[in-house]
Amino acid sequence: MNFFSLPSKPWIWSFAATVIVWIVTVLFTGGASAFGLSQAALTFASFYVIVGIGQMFVITLGPGNIDLSVPATMTLSGTLALKLMDVQDSMIVVGLLVSVLLGIAIGIGNYALIKLLRIPPIIATLSMSFIVQSTAIWANRGLRIKPPEVLANFTTSTLFGIPNVAIVALILSAVAWLLLEKSIYGRWISAIGQSMFAARMTGIPVDGTRLVTYILCAALASICGYLLASFSGGAALNMGGEYLLLSIAVVVIGGTAVAGGNSNIPGIWGASLFMFLVVSMLNTYGFGAGFRLILTGLIIIAVILVAGGRQAGR
Amino acid sequence: MTIGKMLFASVAIACIAGPVSALADTAEKKIALSNNYAGNSWRQAMLTSWDKITKEAVEKGVVAAADPFTTAENQATEQAAQIQNLILQGYDAIVVNAASPTALNGAIKEACDAGITVVSFDGIVTEPCAWRIAVDFKAMGESQIEYLAKKMPNGGNLLEIRGLAGVSVDDEIHAGIQAGVEKNPQFKIVGSVNGDWAQDVAQRAVAGILPSLPEVAAVVTQGGDGYGAAQAFAAANRPTPTIVMGNREDELVWWKSQKDKDGYETMSVSIAPGVSTLAFWVAQQILDGKEVKKDLVVPFLRIDQDNLEANLANTQKGGVANVEYSLEDAQKVIEAAK
Repeated sequence: MNFFSLPSKPWIWSFAATVIVWIVTVLFTGGASAFGLSQAALTFASFYVIVGIGQMFVITLGPGNIDLSVPATMTLSGTLALKLMDVQDSMIVVGLLVSVLLGIAIGIGNYALIKLLRIPPIIATLSMSFIVQSTAIWANRGLRIKPPEVLANFTTSTLFGIPNVAIVALILSAVAWLLLEKSIYGRWISAIGQSMFAARMTGIPVDGTRLVTYILCAALASICGYLLASFSGGAALNMGGEYLLLSIAVVVIGGTAVAGGNSNIPGIWGASLFMFLVVSMLNTYGFGAGFRLILTGLIIIAVILVAGGRQAGR
Repeated sequence: MTIGKMLFASVAIACIAGPVSALADTAEKKIALSNNYAGNSWRQAMLTSWDKITKEAVEKGVVAAADPFTTAENQATEQAAQIQNLILQGYDAIVVNAASPTALNGAIKEACDAGITVVSFDGIVTEPCAWRIAVDFKAMGESQIEYLAKKMPNGGNLLEIRGLAGVSVDDEIHAGIQAGVEKNPQFKIVGSVNGDWAQDVAQRAVAGILPSLPEVAAVVTQGGDGYGAAQAFAAANRPTPTIVMGNREDELVWWKSQKDKDGYETMSVSIAPGVSTLAFWVAQQILDGKEVKKDLVVPFLRIDQDNLEANLANTQKGGVANVEYSLEDAQKVIEAAK
């Protein structure tokens, strides 16, 4: 890749927007806030990245594929894991395992609804999310249980100035990148996203691939819920709420084709950092909530237009 | 509220229940709770309180039934349909925590026209035929600044954490805080973020604005966001300001640990989820033929430095500090409005 091919990379635009917003925000204090802001952005963007990657795999499967059960999965995973660990450090690994298994179960449930009952993914995952959310309410009635201390410390501390959660997100991203770019599985989901019919004709195991993708998405949402609940000192029933739209937004802003068949991981990082920084920038400059929401919307549209325009002209 | 007071309240219920069941004026009446949302700990505590108090009342024969109904999505249209169902099911009174102050008015009017008593609380409705049990949210905001003015007479910089944008409660608490700052110009709001009444959202919003803020003397909040703010200050290695808390157990525990460590001082204020039980008794009183003003005010629950431990002991682990109201409390509130 030489320098001149950079503008044709769809993910470059989310990073360009991120850098601009970062500079504008840091200018407010004459540069003094640069380190603190970067660290906060890395921390909170990590959660967006983890759910974003899962959603990206699902969206890559092609038109109509989306997972709306992400917020409920996060809530249930956080709630159950923390309840199970019950503040004991010795249970941290067990909690993580249970949370991943839970994600796998929800993913299987999602695809079972889609395949066996022939329900469109948007409805299937929405129904699943009602079941999962109700289970979370029933499981603990919204009571907040503290995370084990070692786990809480791990999620809130840094290694050489880089937040630990960002390192976890980076490792997960690297694995996802390998899956997507270097493995046969990645080729398969791209092929299915471009044309499911053609993929079936060429002998790609379409159902198996789609099942694995929905499982992957739910498992990542589970891991995110586990980390977020540990990071913020307990699970809350509404903790997943805004991650539904965010998980889709970071995929789209990051330059993944909404129509499927084309995805990229770096863009998710750019978009996640951008989504956090844009809110911080508008807060820093003291805009009111209404104005802030309008501006956020306009800025997102602008970024997508610029990125999409370039892609079309390629 | 202390254990003693709670005991007193339950004794009061026990004493009163006898004569009431003898009068049996409302023994045949059925009351329904129409609730628009159950997805956070405050609402869960509200439903638990309702369950506890109304079950006792039904057992003692004060009323025939007191069934709670919650809609799946926090939407006015769905709740309006639910209220229409409750009318058809023949309830004598409907207690409402409304999704919108205006959008349910049509359904509420239908209920009134069918001779049903409607009592709204927390999320109140503007329809004139309904009763309203409102919290003076503006005073709640103002009381935070008054407390801070006493604690730090020289004033300082404030960070304001607001609730969910577009909800009337957020506007009212904010107006109270603003009024307080106008009266005490030694305070200056240097930053304002929306924490959506959730610890994780507040934590993220504060972490984002904190690097660009000067020294912050105090954080004014709306409830459910104080612990998240404390976490964000700790993560940024900034000195902990005076953070006004919102009665959540994790907030109170954090406050207690800081207090034990270095004498940290603050206050905590919110509405008790048990306000649903006050609405229940008010509805019962109206059905009983008592004259009740349409607009009632419920006091907010405030915790201070000296009664922190007592309140903490009373609060369910992971829950919200709560008060359940008795028939006597309801009668007092009704008296006060006259």
